[in-house]
Amino acid sequence: MSGATGLRSPGIVLGWTTILVVVAVFASPVAVLAWSLLDPTTDVWRQLWSTRLPGMIVDTVVLLVAVVVGAVLLGTSLAWLVSAHDFVGRRVVSWLLVTPLAIPGYVGGFVWLDTLSNVLGARGVRSLWLCAVVLVLSLYPYVYLFARAAFADQGAGTMAAARSLGSGPLGVFLRVALPAARPAIAAGAALVSMEVLTDIGTVRLFNVSTLADGVMRVWFDTGNRGAATELASALTGAAILLVAAERLLRRGARRARGSAETPLAPRPLSTFGSVAALTTSLVVLAIAVAIPLARLIDWTIEAAGSGRTLTVAGGIGHHAGSTLALASVAALICITIGTLLALVVTHRGRLARPIGRLSTVGYAMPGPVVAVGVVVTLAAVDRRSWLPNGFLLVGSAAGLVFALVTRFFAVSYQGVEASLDRLTPSTRESARVLGAGPLRTALRVEIPAARYGLLAAAALLSVDMIKELPITLLLRPFGVDTLSVWVWQATSESLWAQAAVPSLVMVGVGMLAVGALLAAIERGAEFVS
Amino acid sequence: MATLLAACGSSDSSEQVGVTRQVTVYTGRHYGIEPVFDEFTAATGITVRFTTGSDPELRERLAAEGDNSPADIIMTADAANIALAAAAGLLSPVDSDVLRSAIPGELRAADGTWYSLSRRLRVIMSSKDRVTQPPTTYEAVGDPRWKGRLCLRPSTHPYTQSLVAGLINDLGAESARRIVDAWVANEPLYINSDTDILKAIVAGECDVALANHYYLGRLLTEDPTFPVTLTWPDQNGFGAHLNVSAAAVTAASANRAEAIELLEWLATDGQKTFSDANNEFPANPTVKPADVIAAFGSFLADTGSVRELGRLNAAAVDLLAAAGYE
Repeated sequence: MSGATGLRSPGIVLGWTTILVVVAVFASPVAVLAWSLLDPTTDVWRQLWSTRLPGMIVDTVVLLVAVVVGAVLLGTSLAWLVSAHDFVGRRVVSWLLVTPLAIPGYVGGFVWLDTLSNVLGARGVRSLWLCAVVLVLSLYPYVYLFARAAFADQGAGTMAAARSLGSGPLGVFLRVALPAARPAIAAGAALVSMEVLTDIGTVRLFNVSTLADGVMRVWFDTGNRGAATELASALTGAAILLVAAERLLRRGARRARGSAETPLAPRPLSTFGSVAALTTSLVVLAIAVAIPLARLIDWTIEAAGSGRTLTVAGGIGHHAGSTLALASVAALICITIGTLLALVVTHRGRLARPIGRLSTVGYAMPGPVVAVGVVVTLAAVDRRSWLPNGFLLVGSAAGLVFALVTRFFAVSYQGVEASLDRLTPSTRESARVLGAGPLRTALRVEIPAARYGLLAAAALLSVDMIKELPITLLLRPFGVDTLSVWVWQATSESLWAQAAVPSLVMVGVGMLAVGALLAAIERGAEFVS
Repeated sequence: MATLLAACGSSDSSEQVGVTRQVTVYTGRHYGIEPVFDEFTAATGITVRFTTGSDPELRERLAAEGDNSPADIIMTADAANIALAAAAGLLSPVDSDVLRSAIPGELRAADGTWYSLSRRLRVIMSSKDRVTQPPTTYEAVGDPRWKGRLCLRPSTHPYTQSLVAGLINDLGAESARRIVDAWVANEPLYINSDTDILKAIVAGECDVALANHYYLGRLLTEDPTFPVTLTWPDQNGFGAHLNVSAAAVTAASANRAEAIELLEWLATDGQKTFSDANNEFPANPTVKPADVIAAFGSFLADTGSVRELGRLNAAAVDLLAAAGYE
């Protein structure tokens, strides 16, 4: 910060005000819940500890480890396969391997639950391990995306050097490529952990009692919101520890970005190798995408045949419209505020970063918990009648959008931050030296430079919002029935055929978002810091 | 976007002359509810807005919204959740001769805070092909001969909680615990859907199960040869566990007159449509049940426990947790 101007101190005040307001708004639903920790409901805890809590902790840890290990193994090896090897169909396969992101765990869950119960039986199919497999299949793309980006960043020179020193292909992967990609893989693994820790839809299908499910149990079965909140806070604490661990793991491992080195060139495989690589990828795609899609289409035809494609709220257009409207409005708000915050934070220095990150705490909380926090917060605003015309936030579309933004703000904020980090300080300085004010620098230099990062973040957000279930279910106003709500209503009655119609549309819309994500990545988007 | 904007301008309206009369319902029972509301609108000119969710979710939403809740009526698929909502002060008593004469005393709150609209029985289901002598009591479901052959619904579901609350009411906590322990000792397969439970019987996954009667009614309507037998439990004792679909006017209701009109209509003219939509037994004794469930024969129901299910819900949840019931 050499080019200090006379406007510096108002800029600082304005910057810090922005940071603090955004943090206060998005952290308040969580803070409201944390407040309840001051008055713990000890008897409920004693009861929980002597009954279900130990089992919940074991299930959560086992599921978390299984899914993270599975997603890391699958995601990393697929990423290495398409990054370092050339085979027939490699380009198409490398895109398609991201598409499982569009299939929510709870949809893949009910498809596989029904499909496999004919083979394994209703008892055998309800297992933690199968639940883990379903979650791995829907979450590995996070690791895959990050690992692929990391491998693409690595120069061919280092690997050629390793090869000339006598390392075989496996040696190069294990000793050179993997260590260098470790931070990116850890970042992907952290996202996967968050998804596992906050999942409710999938675990319930397979009778797995995780802590997130426990929060729901305590809240809804005993009506004890206080105890549920305490359990949720403990869960959030665990999630924050995981994120901290990931940051530590990443420390000191700066990616060699933008170096002049020749990028890694995929090594052509022999015919046999080519066939093996293609087969492997296609098997993964068949299990993760093709079979679920085929079953959904089959059920949809069955539902259409018996005329059961309508729900209480109306036709597919109504549900798809609600989903699109909600997802786009919430994603737009996320991106706008995320960009604003990230811009301000990069200018306010070291201390601003950790404070800015407080606004992303909603991502570490299960959806229903965010929903309660939001309801309690908004109800407090409603009681004071601050809004004109007696407008009430609770039960309004504004309230729902606020909750969704609170839950997923992290995705936009971190995406924008990562993109801005790629700007060298000198670029920014040059703009300032040439007389551009902060606003002009932001509009002319920073935002254009981050545009694909913004697009990638928007796409990733859309995927998340489209799949989102618990918050929408609990807070949706009248007349807003999303596709996920329809899926939930049908699956809670085990009406798979009726659940297939909205699932299929949801996957279709999700695929479009995944397509936008891929387009952004192709153009060099950086979406995780 | 239009949907969102339309939804923004919600909450209270009406009360003015010439404006459409409207009532807002939170309903935990969503199976076939729309034709019922359509019929009501046709009969009275009052439009019904409704949103669905699970009983406890709706109860908690009502609690969180407090005085600002747009809901005029909450409708649950279980007696416990509506009684718990009443205990939390979320409901407002209704003093109506129509409701009092239509709904028997044991099926409504003493202070008029809630009224049952239909009756559902949690009964013993067994395979027609493999089971010649099905258990005839809830206790007998815990007989070791059903070990590994039993299907039950998880304890997260209100139906399971209310069933155990009923056992506590009739037999005391100790005996209820013994029964639940015996079920758990049979290593039941927990399936969170009564429909899937019945299908699991047919698929040979289990021989015996507990499920609500109307799920069999629904499957029999689709396939009259569906090979599952219904047994009314404890017919020489306290009777089959009775739960209800119930409704109440909320304390926050801004359209109280319309809300009461809907309740009265549901308890009288709308009884047949409301009950038949889900193959439940009408709460109003003057209304005949649907043929498919009338064919299950007459039975003794544990009517006396219905009003206690809310009070005993916490004890039931604790008992289930302590017994290791999933």
